Amino acid sequence: MRKIIIIIAIVFAVIGIVFTILPMGTLALLPNLLALVLAVFAIFLSKGSKQLKKLPLIIIIVSALATLTVVGKSLLVKDEVAPDKQFEQKKVQSEKEDVKDLEGLQ
Amino acid sequence: MKKALITLAAWAIFISGFAQISQNEKLTYTGAYRMGGMMTTLAQVSLQTNPVKTSKKTYLHLCMEAQTFSKWDYFFKIRDLYESYVDPTTLRPSLYKRNILEGKYAKMEKYIYKGNTINSTSDSKNGATKNFNVHGGSMDVVAAMYKLRAVDFSKMRPGQVFAVTVIFDEKEYPASARFMGKETVSAGCLGKRECYKLSIAARTNKLRGKDQNIIWFTADSKKIPALIKFSIPVGVGQLVLSSVH
Repeated sequence: MRKIIIIIAIVFAVIGIVFTILPMGTLALLPNLLALVLAVFAIFLSKGSKQLKKLPLIIIIVSALATLTVVGKSLLVKDEVAPDKQFEQKKVQSEKEDVKDLEGLQ
Repeated sequence: MKKALITLAAWAIFISGFAQISQNEKLTYTGAYRMGGMMTTLAQVSLQTNPVKTSKKTYLHLCMEAQTFSKWDYFFKIRDLYESYVDPTTLRPSLYKRNILEGKYAKMEKYIYKGNTINSTSDSKNGATKNFNVHGGSMDVVAAMYKLRAVDFSKMRPGQVFAVTVIFDEKEYPASARFMGKETVSAGCLGKRECYKLSIAARTNKLRGKDQNIIWFTADSKKIPALIKFSIPVGVGQLVLSSVH
């Protein structure tokens, strides 16, 4: 039981890290928090026994850091479009060509 | 059936009438897409109007632009440009251009309207031109969007439907807009606003579901599209108004 929970926690932790790196916004909280809860539960299951708690602890630290990163990114990083000179030039060029086409229509 | 046809025809005539769309207007939206049950912001969409003068006529240039937020550019870059040059009074289009870049997919096409004939040029055909006929009143998506805005919703009753034929990818698609009454919604940067609610349907597989494609126009003289919800084959998304200039 404990092993299965740790394996699932690892899977969610990996998905959480990938989602944190990708610009998935607050969606990344879901796998991170699930990994966190499962890792805490794994520690709870190993209470009183001599089983190693190192792996669940690592999952907790990694998931907690990823969760903090996601929250920080959503609070501090604004949604912005990057200045795109090529796109702007394309628009200007396009309008010039359009005027020529419109002149040809009359 | 006859009644329905008459109503549709009446609305088609009604919306083809004169319209007032403000010049030099810029509406900016934040586009979000549903991923894993949560809305994730993806791109900035803007709708802009400006007058364009030629030696004999002044056109209204309608421009719709979509650009992914910088955080997405590395993974999936979108630079879409949809333009339509219309008569400022009747909103009848004369020229339409679509220049899109979505990831690795790029396409450019141009329609020149000559009465009921369209002279189409596309880069997928190495710049070769093709002529095809359309019904009178058919228009591109950008002009259709502004035409919809020109409708006097204050005179409409909930359930009333009007039809418009939209040209896309060199094909005509019958589309309709059903007035669903007034509703107070969160209109992005405008705050809570009373809006006219319209359900858009089209005989195409590009839009999905019944009443899943909705536009809310502010219930004032400007009729600003304040909130747009859409359902397409690859998912569900929305456009929320972020600025008005």
